[in-house]
Amino acid sequence: MIERITHMFDVVAAQGHGSVWTVLFIGFCFGAVILWSRLDKFEKMAGFMIFEDTLAPRMAMMTVALSGVGFYALVQGGVAEYQVKPTLLGGLLVGAVLFGMGLVILGKCPSAFFVSVSEGRVDALVGVIGGMVGGAVFTLTFPWIKQLMGPDLGTIRLSDVLGGYELTIVLLLSLILFVVALLIPTVDYHDPADENQKR
Amino acid sequence: MPRKIPWWAGGILMSLLFFFTFSEWGAGRPIGASTGMAYLSEVLFGLDADAHEYTALIETSGAWEGVMLIGVFFGGLFMSLFVTKTFHISTIPTLWKTRKNSSVPSRMVWSFIAGFLLVYGARLAGGCNAGHILSGGSQTAVSGMIFTVVALGTGMITGRFFYKRKKSCA
Repeated sequence: MIERITHMFDVVAAQGHGSVWTVLFIGFCFGAVILWSRLDKFEKMAGFMIFEDTLAPRMAMMTVALSGVGFYALVQGGVAEYQVKPTLLGGLLVGAVLFGMGLVILGKCPSAFFVSVSEGRVDALVGVIGGMVGGAVFTLTFPWIKQLMGPDLGTIRLSDVLGGYELTIVLLLSLILFVVALLIPTVDYHDPADENQKR
Repeated sequence: MPRKIPWWAGGILMSLLFFFTFSEWGAGRPIGASTGMAYLSEVLFGLDADAHEYTALIETSGAWEGVMLIGVFFGGLFMSLFVTKTFHISTIPTLWKTRKNSSVPSRMVWSFIAGFLLVYGARLAGGCNAGHILSGGSQTAVSGMIFTVVALGTGMITGRFFYKRKKSCA
């Protein structure tokens, strides 16, 4: 296994998507922002889907609103490229259903559960173990599953579907998300467990 | 430093990190997490690329996200120890206690099942909320929009049945 871990770092060092230290730094900041905003908490992620907290949707909309405009500018400026995931309709729909169920029951997503573990949450650790088994089972069943994942609609963006108007779409989408994020009322689930931690 | 930042500050910091990662000054790619999760499980269970088609398929993107997730863990650990000071061993979230039950075995069994569904579902869909909702949404990707609507819709329906509000008997 140590050999595989070393191999993982070697692959990252060789692929030209930042040095190993850059990638670790990106991960570090990602984890830090998630924890600092308390997005790793069950009450924030599951709470949003049962309408007891509004942090997750507001923060996500704010992020996408700003990133949408920023990404467009970076691509136009020639310092980035769009890398859109393919729309494999069957896999996308079934996968999203399973993911949604897992998300509301565990109350974390596949990056936030690592953050939750780092905060000492045992249930998150069990979730990570479940996820590890899920990943392994997917790898083992992939040769059969891949036939059910189509049809492949390709890597499409909204501007491909609507026939252009890229800038208008980006600006409009960002504006809508920004305004909605501002308008959603703040519902903050009060967790007594947090009070006990304030020393 | 404040122990908690508001949603708008979280959104601004997150998008600044996304700009850096997406541009060629950072990594020249969007952020994702679930491919890394699948990759780490292949490392753990010894599922090698020469014997397993999927391992070979995610060799580069999985390794990148696997290393990133190691960073995520330490980023969270640093903040929970030194800034939010929320590090403590806990088993059941408060909201779960009020909406579901106080049984540790129940929470653990459901956590395992949910973790399994999350990663299996994310791999089937080709991404999770980081890859599809945040990175996908920012690139106006159709796959990201479909994923967002279906995953959050299912989550809300599941939540309604799974967490039945207990009748208060004051």
